[in-house]
Amino acid sequence: MSAQEYAFTVLAVVGGLSAIAVVTARNVVHAALYLVVTLLSVGGVYLLLGAEFVAWVQILIYVGAIVILFLFGLMLTKAPIGRDTLDNQQRWLGALVGVGVFAGLVFLIQEAFPVQDAERFETFHATTDAVGESIFRNYVLPFEAVSFLLLAALIGAIVLARKDDAS
Amino acid sequence: MNIDYHALLPEFILAGTILLVLVVDVFLPERAKWFAMPIGLIGVVGSLAGVLSLIGAGTRESFGGTYVVDEFALLFKGFFLVTAVVVLALSLRYFREGGFYQGEYYFLLLTSFLGCVMMPSSRDLLLLFLALELVSAPGFLMAAFRKGDVKSNEAGVKFFIIGVLSTAVMLFGMSLIYGVTGGATKLAEIGVALDGVSGEMETLAFAAILFVVVGFAFKVSAVPFQFWAPDTYEGSPVPVAAFLAVASSVAGFAGLLQLMFVAFAGQHEFWVPIFAFLSIATMTVGNLVALQQTQVVRLLAYSGIAQSGYILLTFALVTDDAASNRNAFAAAVTYILIYGVMNLGAFAATVAVSRRHPTLGVADFAGLRETAPVIAVGMAVFMISLAGVPPTGGFWGKLLIFQAAIERGGTLGPALAVVMLVNSVASVFYYLVVPRQMFLRDAADPSRLRVPALVTAVVAVAMVTLVAIFVLPNVFARLAEISTLVGLGA
Amino acid sequence: MDWVGWAILVVRVAIVFFGLLISVMLYIWMERKVIADMQTRVGPLRAGPRGVLITLADGIKLFFKEGITPTAADHPVYAVAPILAMFPGFLAFCVIPFGTSVTLFGREIPFQLADLNIGILWILAMTSLSVYGVVLAGWSSGSNYPLLGAVRSSAQMISYEVGMGLALVAVLMYSGTLRMSELIAAQDTVWNVIPQFPAFVVFLIGAIAETNRPPFDLAEAESELVAGFHTEYSGIKFAMFYLGEYVSTVTVAAVAVTLFLGGWRGWWPFDGAVAWIGPLLWFVLKITAVIYVLILVRATLPRMRYDRLMNFGWKVLIPFGLVWVMITGVVVVLPQEYGNRGRYIAGAVIVGAAALATLVAPLFSHRPASEAEPGGQPEGREVRA
Repeated sequence: MSAQEYAFTVLAVVGGLSAIAVVTARNVVHAALYLVVTLLSVGGVYLLLGAEFVAWVQILIYVGAIVILFLFGLMLTKAPIGRDTLDNQQRWLGALVGVGVFAGLVFLIQEAFPVQDAERFETFHATTDAVGESIFRNYVLPFEAVSFLLLAALIGAIVLARKDDAS
Repeated sequence: MNIDYHALLPEFILAGTILLVLVVDVFLPERAKWFAMPIGLIGVVGSLAGVLSLIGAGTRESFGGTYVVDEFALLFKGFFLVTAVVVLALSLRYFREGGFYQGEYYFLLLTSFLGCVMMPSSRDLLLLFLALELVSAPGFLMAAFRKGDVKSNEAGVKFFIIGVLSTAVMLFGMSLIYGVTGGATKLAEIGVALDGVSGEMETLAFAAILFVVVGFAFKVSAVPFQFWAPDTYEGSPVPVAAFLAVASSVAGFAGLLQLMFVAFAGQHEFWVPIFAFLSIATMTVGNLVALQQTQVVRLLAYSGIAQSGYILLTFALVTDDAASNRNAFAAAVTYILIYGVMNLGAFAATVAVSRRHPTLGVADFAGLRETAPVIAVGMAVFMISLAGVPPTGGFWGKLLIFQAAIERGGTLGPALAVVMLVNSVASVFYYLVVPRQMFLRDAADPSRLRVPALVTAVVAVAMVTLVAIFVLPNVFARLAEISTLVGLGA
Repeated sequence: MDWVGWAILVVRVAIVFFGLLISVMLYIWMERKVIADMQTRVGPLRAGPRGVLITLADGIKLFFKEGITPTAADHPVYAVAPILAMFPGFLAFCVIPFGTSVTLFGREIPFQLADLNIGILWILAMTSLSVYGVVLAGWSSGSNYPLLGAVRSSAQMISYEVGMGLALVAVLMYSGTLRMSELIAAQDTVWNVIPQFPAFVVFLIGAIAETNRPPFDLAEAESELVAGFHTEYSGIKFAMFYLGEYVSTVTVAAVAVTLFLGGWRGWWPFDGAVAWIGPLLWFVLKITAVIYVLILVRATLPRMRYDRLMNFGWKVLIPFGLVWVMITGVVVVLPQEYGNRGRYIAGAVIVGAAALATLVAPLFSHRPASEAEPGGQPEGREVRA
């Protein structure tokens, strides 16, 4: 295995384990922190693929802003923290389905993309230039659609969260 | 890189209207907030004019073929914009009198319709996904717009959680397709690339298709992914329920048609049985549960599920034979459009009644023949049409699907046709419950029901349309025939 | 890389690390002296000549103090938070070029730890991480004042980060690169502070808020929140917060110098073996000047009220930053696309936008009475640009 593959293995294991920890953590804030680890390892994978810009944007947006907003929301709303409030009778069923789907997908993906084929996928160097060109030329329509989507989400969230003076 | 600005005109007008509504709302005083609706209406009509100006202008591509305006796209765009006009008309009184955030509502509604309008032109996985999200995300919020009502909150949360789950599943499937095809996102390219894969790679592609289908099955409320629909429709404001039942699910079907008939057409041997199962389960469960409903919106929700089953049936008719595929495709398009008209009409009638009876039990429709005769006759026509009984458009819709199923041949086609026939007969029982109340029972309060003129107009137009379709089926059927999707039937 | 290369790398990292520590020590002393001067006090006096070792003495004292962990604290997070507060500042400094280069043992050694081609993005990413220390410290203390401080400061830091980011976007659009060395090369003739002065102002305001310095130090407003997010911290952990705050300040000043003030550029008469001293001196001098301004701001302005802080951030700073990014975009792109004609179009667009803004601004100037602030003073909403 090359250094790159070692690094990927480490990132995948750390990211995967912390992803499991996200859903099993007893404490919501801890879950959010495990999510940070997962997102960081995803950023690491981007770095390994040579997509430097995407990697740092991943860290800037997801780790630096989105999870912070999670934490902010948790603190502001004093959301119930602890196991009982979030528990559900069907956790074993859910776990079973999760493990089943995971096993099936691992099998299928492993069959379709065997590890020894890894050299087929070279790292590509997505320069900031190329990313910008791609977003603002070919994919400008999805980009605008996303902006409408986010605007709608923002406005709707304000409407739903706002305290009505009238009623 | 080319951008055909004329082809994008409807989207531009609609997007401009959305922003205008948002900005104008800031400056409107509280009692004039309803003014956002006429502004939106003008914008939607303008956008519709944009669509009309593109008719006969040929197939136009933008952004490297990821956004295509062809006859199929125009037909659906026109349909969605007409739906937008209707939903706006239904909303005016309801939202003005209910103490809602009106400007924000119209903003969200139009944004959702922007997604609808983009959907039939999106020939790229990324765009398709975003268009679908643009339809759904404002829907989550609008479903919860009756803020003080626990049921509305439940509606929003259920819709949101199920919607996000289905999105995640679908997106995962799409990412697998991206991997299997070696980086194709355009639907036509995916179709070509998928035909070239074999062995383990093909198995993975099948899994990916399954994920995508499951994601869409949630959106169009196919059994076994239907359980959110009745609760969400019941809890939402009634015009929003109309939007969800018509525009949102038709948008789902528009996306599904493009995916299945263009991108995944070569794998039909894998997914036809899935659709056959989905279709049979959906119509049977929808009809059986609808039989027990006593609340009209829930009844319409289950009827909508059953109708989704009929539409899904057409997907199960795909074979190697291009002509038969085109038949199935045309049947699907026709049925979707007719379904839209009759369902919108039914919801319009429900909006009219909801002014006096917000709970909307079946018994609340009693004696409607005296209190609101136009609405009563209209509702009767819509129910008969939904049941597929002549003399209404719904009859032709079902007949076309039936025909396509028989013509497909084999054992599957006729078998599905028989299941559909049995289901249609069973559905008559619950569809006639409402007309029975309206015409055979007397109202507790015999005074006339004051129905907003716009709502009456919608009911009347929908009623006339349905009867007209029955009388002149050829005019309407031609719409579906000319609406050939680019890349179909290779 | 051979072992010499590795050794040089380690030495470079160590030099930057300890250099930062020493500079932090000196800047804290400077801050105390300047503020004392403005308040006609003498300030620290005993430790070392003119009290210059005061920070070291404080550090030693804190190191030997007992570390107390509240019983209600969430232990692992409580322990990690100070570390998270300290490191982003150091990491962000990695991409700052603090001089040209020096040739030692036949190798050219650049005065910069890493010249990433996404340097600005790295800085943004690292500053965005600095929120974690504050938020987690406040939450994990298991006590109310820190929690309130954390909520406040996370909101504040996220909000001002956007404004600061917009200022950086304007600069990178103007210079057309994200790489720090190229940014400095682009300031060959004119420092960015002149064409990008509005961005510089936005950046400085955002930077002060990001580092939680007065007048934006609401996270620790002692009159309201005891000491804010680090109320429950003591001993070495408190020292780490203190250190982190000042490292961030130095880093932010260094970023301001690099992006706007020409970096290490300056006049230096000597060539040859001592050529590297000049740029280094200029860099230190410029950082000192920026920090001096920050100290003056601290000494003169009272702490802002929280709702005004948020209003200013969202309703003034961010819209202004957005408009400035747009103007920069127009000015940069139009001449590229249309040549000289584009320059006229750009000018016309800017004048038109300014005229439109003047026309529209009165619409925003009066709030309806019902929306007046709880304080009861209806305050004209300010719209610039």
